[in-house]
Amino acid sequence: MGVMLLVGTRKGLFLLGGDDERRSFEIEGPLLPGWSINHAIVDPRDGSMYACANSWVYGGTVQRSTDMGKTWERSDGLGLPEESELKLASTWHLEPGHATEPGTLWLGCEPGVLFRSDDSGASWQVNEAVLGHETRDRWSPGAGGLITHSITLDPEDAQRLWIGISAAGVFRTEDGGTSWTPANSGTEACFFPDDRFPEVGQCVHKVLAHAGRPGRLWQQNHCGVYRSDDGGGSWERLDGNGLPSEFGFGIALDPGDPDTAFVIPEEGAENRVTCDGRIGIYRTTDAGASWELIVAEEPAWAAVLREAMSQDAEAVYAGTQSGHVYALRHDEVVEAARHLPPILSVEAATAV
Amino acid sequence: MATVLLPGLLATEAGGRKEFDVDAATVGDALRALPVRDLVLDEHGEVRSLVNVYVDGERTGELEAAVTAASTIRIVAAIAGG
Repeated sequence: MGVMLLVGTRKGLFLLGGDDERRSFEIEGPLLPGWSINHAIVDPRDGSMYACANSWVYGGTVQRSTDMGKTWERSDGLGLPEESELKLASTWHLEPGHATEPGTLWLGCEPGVLFRSDDSGASWQVNEAVLGHETRDRWSPGAGGLITHSITLDPEDAQRLWIGISAAGVFRTEDGGTSWTPANSGTEACFFPDDRFPEVGQCVHKVLAHAGRPGRLWQQNHCGVYRSDDGGGSWERLDGNGLPSEFGFGIALDPGDPDTAFVIPEEGAENRVTCDGRIGIYRTTDAGASWELIVAEEPAWAAVLREAMSQDAEAVYAGTQSGHVYALRHDEVVEAARHLPPILSVEAATAV
Repeated sequence: MATVLLPGLLATEAGGRKEFDVDAATVGDALRALPVRDLVLDEHGEVRSLVNVYVDGERTGELEAAVTAASTIRIVAAIAGG
């Protein structure tokens, strides 16, 4: 089965249609020209396409298409209540709800807020528990802003999910979003001068739950790579096991193997380029006990943003800020596209 | 009916129309009558900071500014390179 990659860029959305072997890709786009696409998905439950489309003049929106991008409809009424004294700055991440909740979607936004839709994105309701979280005064924005960039669901329990906010940390709900508990025990905030293991304030860059093993989470953080086997109750640090750096943004998982994960480390917070003059994809197959390098390209000094790694059952995909997309399948790396605008996100969907 | 002129991206979002005739006594009335009001105004009803509004060639930031049936309201987006 082929794949369709949704590649969000600073200048519109591109679709890359890949063949069964992930060796040949055809480019379509740009869709939504004039918009900066932080993230785009296809909802596997009904085939609708959604995009976090942002404009530095006109603000953050969600756009929905039911004809694979030919026409789009903008969500209505996306904003924050006046009494919050906050304004929506941008839209960042879309996540289809649980399979048992058709029509439900989650949306992460700046400034550190979460929305839920129960009508397939036609309208959105802000999550009051995140908006008014008792630790919010200890959150601080990262380089991308105070952004809710990760939303990841428990595979079995629709009431249980996790969000990641930079720089606030990981939060877990067990009640469908009515309340949120910090889930940062054991993750470091290495940029703090004193308390480096606070309750909140960690700069999580991406957190993902494995769909095949409830409670297993992976996290690429500003200060390390981590795995949790208890739903974020505790985290084990993994970047001392063969990674060239603790720093990176994206992380990808193998949907068929909860012990396999992929990261693309960067040199550090003060020099955000891939390590050692190459684009190196590091893979673990033993739950982070060791990592092996797969070179995608060298020489290269690139950057892969937090939404710009994805995976399906066949391959892992990564897009760079220099506009290249790579597909890794069976130790073979294929360049799927080059010279696109700066890439903000890559998401894999089943080809139709 | 006052006339509102939209720049490119707003016109695209308005279904391809660059010009709207609206019943309006104020600039705010005119902007709130647009199908792209959520892009021009933020969720608190204020003009977005990088949206500029001109009435008959004069820039105004006042939603209460009066307009007439003969007024032309032009929306201009802030522009920078890159």
